[in-house]
Amino acid sequence: MFLEISGIKKHFGEGESRQEVLKGIDLSVEKGEICVLLGPSGSGKSTLLNIIGGIDTADEGYISINGEKTADMNEKALTRYRRKHLGYIFQQYNLIPNLNIKENVEVGAYLSDAPLDVDDLLKTLGLYEHRHKLPNQLSGGQQQRTAIGRAIVKNPDILLCDEPTGALDYNTSKEILKLIAEVNEKYGSTVIMVTHNDAIKLMADRVVRLRDGVIRHNTVNEQKTAAADLEW
Amino acid sequence: MKRMRDPLRRRVLRELRSDLPRHLVIFLFFALIISGASGYFISCDSLAKSYDESFEKYNIEDGNFELAERPDENIVADIEKDADIRLYENYFKQEETEDFESKLRMFGERNEVNKVCLLSGDMPKEKNEIAIDRLYAQNHKLEKGSTIRIAGGAELTVSGIAALPDYSSLYENPSELIFDNKAFGIGVMTKEGFEALRDDHIHYVYSWLYNSKPKDETEAKEMSEELVKTVSKHAVLTGFIPEYVNQAIVFAGDDIHGDRAGMSVFLYITVVILAFITAITADSTILAESGVIGTLRASGYSRGELLRHYLMPPMITLVCGAVVGNILGYTLLEKYMADAYLGTYSLTSYEVIFNPEALIETTVIPLATMLVINIAALAAKLKLSPLRFLRRDLSRRGKKKSFRLNTKIPIMIRYRLRIIFQNLPNYITIVVGSFLANTILMFGMVFEPMLVNFQNTVSENMLAKYIYVLKVPAETEVPSAEKAVMTDLETTYKKYKAEQVSIYGIEEGSRYVKIGHEGKGVYLSTAYADKYGISEGESITLKEKYTDKEYTFEVAGMYDYPATIAVFMDKTQFGETFEKGSDIYFSDEEITDIDDTLIYSKIGESDLTKTSRQLMRSMGSMMVVFKYFGIVMFMIVIYLLAKIIIEKNARPISVAKILGYTDREVSGLYVHSTTIVAVLSIVLTVPLASVMLDKLFKVVFMSYSGYFAYDVSVLTLAETCAIGIASYLLISVLLNRKVKRVDLAEALKNVE
Repeated sequence: MFLEISGIKKHFGEGESRQEVLKGIDLSVEKGEICVLLGPSGSGKSTLLNIIGGIDTADEGYISINGEKTADMNEKALTRYRRKHLGYIFQQYNLIPNLNIKENVEVGAYLSDAPLDVDDLLKTLGLYEHRHKLPNQLSGGQQQRTAIGRAIVKNPDILLCDEPTGALDYNTSKEILKLIAEVNEKYGSTVIMVTHNDAIKLMADRVVRLRDGVIRHNTVNEQKTAAADLEW
Repeated sequence: MKRMRDPLRRRVLRELRSDLPRHLVIFLFFALIISGASGYFISCDSLAKSYDESFEKYNIEDGNFELAERPDENIVADIEKDADIRLYENYFKQEETEDFESKLRMFGERNEVNKVCLLSGDMPKEKNEIAIDRLYAQNHKLEKGSTIRIAGGAELTVSGIAALPDYSSLYENPSELIFDNKAFGIGVMTKEGFEALRDDHIHYVYSWLYNSKPKDETEAKEMSEELVKTVSKHAVLTGFIPEYVNQAIVFAGDDIHGDRAGMSVFLYITVVILAFITAITADSTILAESGVIGTLRASGYSRGELLRHYLMPPMITLVCGAVVGNILGYTLLEKYMADAYLGTYSLTSYEVIFNPEALIETTVIPLATMLVINIAALAAKLKLSPLRFLRRDLSRRGKKKSFRLNTKIPIMIRYRLRIIFQNLPNYITIVVGSFLANTILMFGMVFEPMLVNFQNTVSENMLAKYIYVLKVPAETEVPSAEKAVMTDLETTYKKYKAEQVSIYGIEEGSRYVKIGHEGKGVYLSTAYADKYGISEGESITLKEKYTDKEYTFEVAGMYDYPATIAVFMDKTQFGETFEKGSDIYFSDEEITDIDDTLIYSKIGESDLTKTSRQLMRSMGSMMVVFKYFGIVMFMIVIYLLAKIIIEKNARPISVAKILGYTDREVSGLYVHSTTIVAVLSIVLTVPLASVMLDKLFKVVFMSYSGYFAYDVSVLTLAETCAIGIASYLLISVLLNRKVKRVDLAEALKNVE
C-alpha cells in the first residue's frame, strides 16, 4: 500500500472545550489514485489532510508513505519528508508577491533533486506567456494554476489539495480540476483533495466521506467522470 | 544534476526595493550611528595615541613644585641627591595682557623636559619673540607676526604656534574645575628673552624626573609623598603637584579616554534600540508573509532556509549602513570629531591611525548584535508549525483572549485602546526609544541654559566684587576693602579623588559674608554641600595638602555660594585652628594702593564664571549635535514602529474604509493611537530624562574638581517637550499619508 493511514485520532482544546476532531481514521490510498475527502465543516477533513502533510500531528495512529511513518520523524525528518514526497495546494494561493510567475514555480523546483522542466510546466499550465508577470497581475484562476505549478514542479509523490477551488468561480474551478487530473495522469502523482463540493467526487478514484471525525463512506469510484464534464 | 540556486534569493533585492522607505530609514540610522561612532573612535584613538606617546616623545615631567624663593644651586643639588630625582628649572613669569583681557604665562627655553611641539611658524630666536599656544592664539586671533603687549611694558612678537605637552589643558591652576584658554595662555621664549622680562610675577617652578620611575600610580603616590617631605626639609614649598594629578597634563587624556567609554555605552544603547526595531520589523514581516511561509514550510523548505532568507534584507541594509557609516566616519567625521577635541585641548600634532579595535567596536559588535537579535526574533517565530503560519496564528502564548473594556467608554476610544494593547511591544519600544532620544535631546537642550543660569547665579552670589589674595600682609585705604584670611585644604573622601577646599576666616560683622560666629561650627558653600550631599549637623574631615594633618569640623549651616567648594568660619576660630593662612581682602572696588608684587591673585567675576564660558566654548558645538541626533533618533523610532502598526493593520484599515469611514476617521483611529502614546511618552520621559541627567551630572562631577548644579527650568523642559511633539507632528503627516494609501482591495486579499 502506498499511503496508509491507521488509527488516526486528534483532538483540540481541553476540559469542557475538548473536541475530538478525528476519532480513529483508517484509510489506504493506492499510488496514482485521486482521493477526494468530502464532508461538512468541522468533519475533520482538513485536519486529516494536514496530518498526512506532516504539518499537524496526530494524538494516536500513524501515517505511512511507502513504509515511512511520519510519527517516527523529528522536525528535520518531517521537513525532508515534505520536501521529498509532498506538494501542497491551498485555497489561498499563497504566492510570493514580489516574485514573478516563473520564479514562484522555481521556488518549488528548488526543493527537488529532479524537478520538472519549469518552462514545459508553465506551458502545460497555460502560464508561459505570463511567466514574467507578478501574481497580482493575474486572475485568481491563473494564480491558483501557478500555485499548482509550484506544488507539482518538484514531481511529488502526493499532491495535497485543500479546497483548491474554494475561492474560484465555476469555469475557473473546472479548469483547475482539469489541470489536477492532467497532472495526476501525466506525472502519476497521488492526489488527496479536500473539498466541500460534492460534484468533485465524480472525478475521484476514491471518495472518502467524513462526518464528526469518522469515515462514514469509503468508496472506490469505478466510473470516473472527466473533470471537464463535471457539473454543479 | 546541478542544483539550482535558491530562487528566493531573487526576492531579496526586490524586497529591499519594495519597502524602500523602511530600509532607507534603518540604513540612514545605522549609517548615522556608525559614522558618528567610528569617526569619534578613530579621532579619539588617534589623539589618545599621540597624547600617550607625547609623554616619552616630549619627555613630560614626573611632577613639579614651586618654591617661595629662588633656591641656590646647593639646595637644588641636595634635593636631587636626597630624593633621587633630577630637577629642571621651569620658571615662568605671568603677566596680564594689555590689548585684551587675559593672563599670559611665559616660559624660557625647554630643551630637556616638557619639550615644545612647534605646530606652525618658528621657534623664537630674538629676545622679543614668543611661540604661543594654538588655542590661545585662535581665541585672540593671533598669528605669526602679531604682537602682544603685556603688563610691565614688554611687547612680544608671535614667532610661531606651539603646544606644550605639560599644558595640554590650559589650566592656570590645576585644582580648578576647568580651564579657560581665552583668559589664560602660555608661551615660550628664548632664554635671554625670558630673563629680560620683569621679575614681578616670577614663579620658581622645578620639574622633576625620577631616576627610577614608579611602577604604577600607587607607587607614584608613595614616591611623591616622600618627595614632598624631602623638598620641605630644604625649602619653603608653595606648590607641589605630581604629574598623575596635574590636570594640565592628565585632564585631556582622562577626558579623551573617558568620553570614549561614554560613547561606547551610547553606541550600544542606540544599537540595542535599533535591534529591537529591526526585530519588531522582522516580526511584522513574518506576520505579513505567514501564508507564504506556511506554504513554503509545508512544501519542504526548512526553517534554516527561511531564516536565512528573511535575515537577508535587514542584514544587507545594516551591512550597507555599516560600510557607508565607516566611509563617512573615516573621511568626514573623523576631522569633525577631532576638531571638537582640538578646539578644547592644546594637543601636540597627531596622525590619523587605522584602528582595528575601533572597527570591531563600531561595526563588528553592532552588526553581530543586530544579527543575533534578528536571528533570535526570526527563529522564535519560525519555530511555529507550518499550520500555524497557514492559519496566521502566530501568537506564541496561544490564543489571545479578549479582555473587557467598560462599554461606557466611547467606541472610538475603546478601538484606540485595543490598537494600543494589540501593538504593545511596538509602543513599549516607542516609549523606551523616546526616553533615550529625549535624554540625548535634553542633554543638548539643557547645557546652554544651565551654563547661563550658573553664570547668573555665580554673579548674583559673589562674596565680593573682588577677592585679593596677598603674598604677605599689606594694608589698604580702599573703603570697601575688608580683611579676611584664607587657606586651602583637601577633601578626604576615600571614594572620590581629593579636591581643594578654600577655607575662609571671616571677621564678625563682615559686610561681605554673613555667617554665625557663635560656637565652633563652620558654614559650607552651597556648591560643597550640594556636591557631597552634606547637611547641617554633619561633620566634615579635611586635610592639609602636603601633610597628613587632618581637621574635623561640624557643619553649622550652609552659605549661598555656588561658585566654589568653600568653607567659612569665624576668623578667630580660623586663627586657633590653623598655624598660618594668607591674608585676603574682600572688596567691591579695585585695590590700587597695594603693590602688584605683593598680590598673589585677584579673583573677579570673570574668574568665577570662566568655567561656564570654557564649557560653552568647548562643548557648545557638540551640544548642537546632541540636539539634532536626539530629534532624528526620536523621529526614526516613531516612524519605523508606527509604520509597522499601520502595515499590520492594513486589512482592518481597508475594512473600515469599505464600511464608509473616511481617511480622516481611519487616521483618527490608527494614527491617533500612536499620537496618544507618542505625546504621553514625550511628556512622561522628558522629566524622567531630566532626573536621569541630574543623577548622571552628579556622578560625573564627583570625578572633577568644583561643582556645577544641574538646574533645568520648567521652560527648558517645556521646550524639549514642544520639540518632541513638533517632530512627531512631522512624522504623523507621513503616517496619515500611509493610512490614506491603504487600498480598499486589501480587505479582499487572502480571504479565509
